[in-house]
Amino acid sequence: MSFAGWTLLQMWPLFAIGAAAITGLYLLRMRRRQIVVPFAALWERVTRDSESRKLWRKLRRLLSWLLQLVVLALVCLALGDPRPDVWLRDPVSLAIVIDTSASMAGPAPDEPDTTRLDLARRRAEQEILNLGPADRAVVIGASEEVAVAAPLSSDPAVLIPGLQRLQPRYGESDLDRALALASHVVSERAGPRILVLTDGALDPAAIEALEACAAGPVACEVARVGGPSDNVAITAFAARRYPYARDKIEVLTEVHNLGDTPTKVVLEVEADDAPVGRTTLRLEPGERKREVLSGLDAARSRFVARLSQEQGDQAPFGLPHDDEAYAVVPPLTPLDVVLVTDGTNLFLEAALLVLDDHVRLTGMSPQEAREGRRPEFAEADVVFFDVADEGLPETLPATHVVMFDPWRAETSPSPIEKKADVVRPFLTEQDRGHPVLDHVVIKDVNLARGTTLATIPGDQVLFRSLGEPMAVLREAQHTTVAFGFDPRQSDLPMRSAFPMMVDNLIRYFEQREAGFVASVPIGTHRELTLADLGLAPEGVSRVEVRGPEGAVMVLPVERGRFRLRALVPGFYAIEALDGPLAGSSVELAVNAANLHASNLHDALTAQSLPEASQAPAAAPDSPLPQGPLWTLVMLVVAVLLAAEWASYHRRVTV
Amino acid sequence: MGWADRLIPRRKAAAPRQEEALFDEAFLERLELLQVIARRLFRGRQRSERKTRKVGSGLEFADHREYSPGDDIRYLDWTVWIRLHQALIRLFEEDEDLPIRIVIDVSDSMGTSDGAKLRYAMQVGAALAYVGLANLDRVGITCASGKHHTTLPAVRGKGRIFRVFEFLRTAERGGPTDIRAMCSRVAAESRKPGLTVVLSDFYDLEGAFEGLNMLRVRKHEPVAVQIIDPAEADPTHSGLRGDVQLVDVEGGVHRDVTLSARSLTAYAEAHRRFCEQLEASCRSRGIFATQASLDVPFDDMVLRLFRQGGILR
Repeated sequence: MSFAGWTLLQMWPLFAIGAAAITGLYLLRMRRRQIVVPFAALWERVTRDSESRKLWRKLRRLLSWLLQLVVLALVCLALGDPRPDVWLRDPVSLAIVIDTSASMAGPAPDEPDTTRLDLARRRAEQEILNLGPADRAVVIGASEEVAVAAPLSSDPAVLIPGLQRLQPRYGESDLDRALALASHVVSERAGPRILVLTDGALDPAAIEALEACAAGPVACEVARVGGPSDNVAITAFAARRYPYARDKIEVLTEVHNLGDTPTKVVLEVEADDAPVGRTTLRLEPGERKREVLSGLDAARSRFVARLSQEQGDQAPFGLPHDDEAYAVVPPLTPLDVVLVTDGTNLFLEAALLVLDDHVRLTGMSPQEAREGRRPEFAEADVVFFDVADEGLPETLPATHVVMFDPWRAETSPSPIEKKADVVRPFLTEQDRGHPVLDHVVIKDVNLARGTTLATIPGDQVLFRSLGEPMAVLREAQHTTVAFGFDPRQSDLPMRSAFPMMVDNLIRYFEQREAGFVASVPIGTHRELTLADLGLAPEGVSRVEVRGPEGAVMVLPVERGRFRLRALVPGFYAIEALDGPLAGSSVELAVNAANLHASNLHDALTAQSLPEASQAPAAAPDSPLPQGPLWTLVMLVVAVLLAAEWASYHRRVTV
Repeated sequence: MGWADRLIPRRKAAAPRQEEALFDEAFLERLELLQVIARRLFRGRQRSERKTRKVGSGLEFADHREYSPGDDIRYLDWTVWIRLHQALIRLFEEDEDLPIRIVIDVSDSMGTSDGAKLRYAMQVGAALAYVGLANLDRVGITCASGKHHTTLPAVRGKGRIFRVFEFLRTAERGGPTDIRAMCSRVAAESRKPGLTVVLSDFYDLEGAFEGLNMLRVRKHEPVAVQIIDPAEADPTHSGLRGDVQLVDVEGGVHRDVTLSARSLTAYAEAHRRFCEQLEASCRSRGIFATQASLDVPFDDMVLRLFRQGGILR
């Protein structure tokens, strides 16, 4: 304790003089109030044994005298402006960087229901309570996002609420940016100091940032709050459709034992809240196992993988949030196929009709196609032209097109040019490796007439007749397939190869449709395509993204793409805000699957941080409040005087 | 009342002089009513019906005594002379009107509480005087203390009431309470003893009863009316606490005391015992004594005196 105001030598004379004056006043006979009474003789008889002669009266005077001396002593003390030694050191500008990464939600040692972040908060609170009046502190939370939890201040009433608002996030901490911010805040101030509160479960980038900070000009100290490091996490979760069986789904789950002891876990997979798989895994320390669930029905779209204890215990493995993972498989949408036909080729129509799980078939006459009256013609995914003698429309629709005998007439809109007419051609060669001709054999197919086609580089010839292309597939923005013969003028429709070829064509076009995104990881900026999510991108310029915690953000869409940085695992709803399909929404799964974030081991133990970077234990709470102590002393004086005043007016001390 | 008024009490506006307000119109109206009620009470009794013990020339036989030379032989009882040959003179109770003397204590002790007790005593005294004058009694008033002694000689007739009022208004006040001296002087200056009503607080530990008894000894018929201010009699609710100096309003005594709830209760008890003792002493000597509390209206008090006090017999 030191005095910033008057010294003891200055205070003592004042106290001595004041005490003498008070004592003198008390020694003087107290002037009593005069009360005029009409019958003093009776009063005298009654008060002959007055209390004033009793010891208590005298003692009360003594106590009153002592009280006045105490008040005087306190006033002298206030003049001295007493300050605890902790206040008299050089001011400190302290930046408290608290790691709020996923691992900070891990358990604390020896304290049930306490997380590592709770320990860090406790430590930070002690540091804040030990601040002197000239000290300043700022609290920075470091997760994937870096945020100032409490601004630079010396007031615990400002700092501690901000501290309490910190919550563990789901990814790794971006210590590089957090330390840069902390250094920027305190480096120009008196006594700069950075205190990092972390459990040490950091990724290499964060460790590098710590090392750089420790070597930097600002004093950088690390206080570690550790705890048990056992954790089992789902580190990967994916779902996909089979390439050649789009109505079936395959789900992959990767489970990693990040702890130091063998463990048994139960892995359950749910699809649309219905269990579709359950298995028990025994994992050695550090072991990683992958489980694949095959042949799941594609009608289900939301998949959740969940780890649980074998005995049904609800306690999570280490971190609770990495015991779950999510995936979304958009529902399978059939291709819109338009068949332009004169109605005489029932074989083709039948081959398409049997694909009703994959195809939404619309029949149309050649005249309707030429006139373009029906909107299905322009909106179709695939258009089959089998018009025989009828003419083709002047222009082909901007979509995938399959044409049979496009050059029967003299003119044709077909982009694949005619080479020559042939009579009774033989199909002599076929591209057996082409997916359109998978399991298709065209040997000995009889054709009455046909047309050979001219190819350009890049064209894929499906059939040849004596080396001349008779069926060509051209990949461009849209795929065009031209068969140089009319099925009616051949026996191909009567063979099993024909429906198989039609089926292969449909699958070929299906595979050219956009894929899907089963899930994305948290923490990174990810460019997503609306089409991949199953949302038509036409006309959409903004989407609303609603997270699992209810947070809503509106993101701009450019050319059907938008960038999303998800910070919370779970299912996100993405809704188109404009365009023809405004209001339609799809789901996106976001997973925390991150090996570093789930690893609770203290990675700093193996590092060689300088000794000076190890933060000492926090001093115990200062028993004194913040602010000038003399104000508290004067407050005590005021309370004493108020008590004296009240007792005087209640006739207790008079 | 604003906070400033609470902190700094303003001087009260000058009230009309209390003496002027003492016998105002309302007071006179109440006197008239009182007189009507008193007339009903005393109906059938005529003037001079009060008998004195003086044996004189009245009509009602009182006693015999032996003849002595010089006696009027008209009062010789010839019947006894004829039968017993004793010369006895017949004595008769003399019918004469008893004078009413109203003595009001005007000492300083009656002036406390803003003179409420003195005002009350004067109103009671004036009321008694009015009723007496209305009944054609002779009424005299004395205002006395240990310092002043002023007497209005006995007057008769209702019209003299304003003289009584004027006397009461202008009577000198102040001085110590000395009941004994006051009664002695009243007895000395009364040519005829009569009904003497003493209105006082009797705050005279030694002389209160002695003074009244002296009147009785001097053939007066004293009636003691003790004026009591309830706030003075029981100060337990006065809020007085702590170390104070008690100053006697009549001067002389200063006493440092520490007032507590217990001491205030003790005073109230002592005051009650003092009043009871005074009343018991008076009763033992046949002196009617009563208490008049300020919270009882003066006219009710006067009627009570008429009913219970034996002012008229």
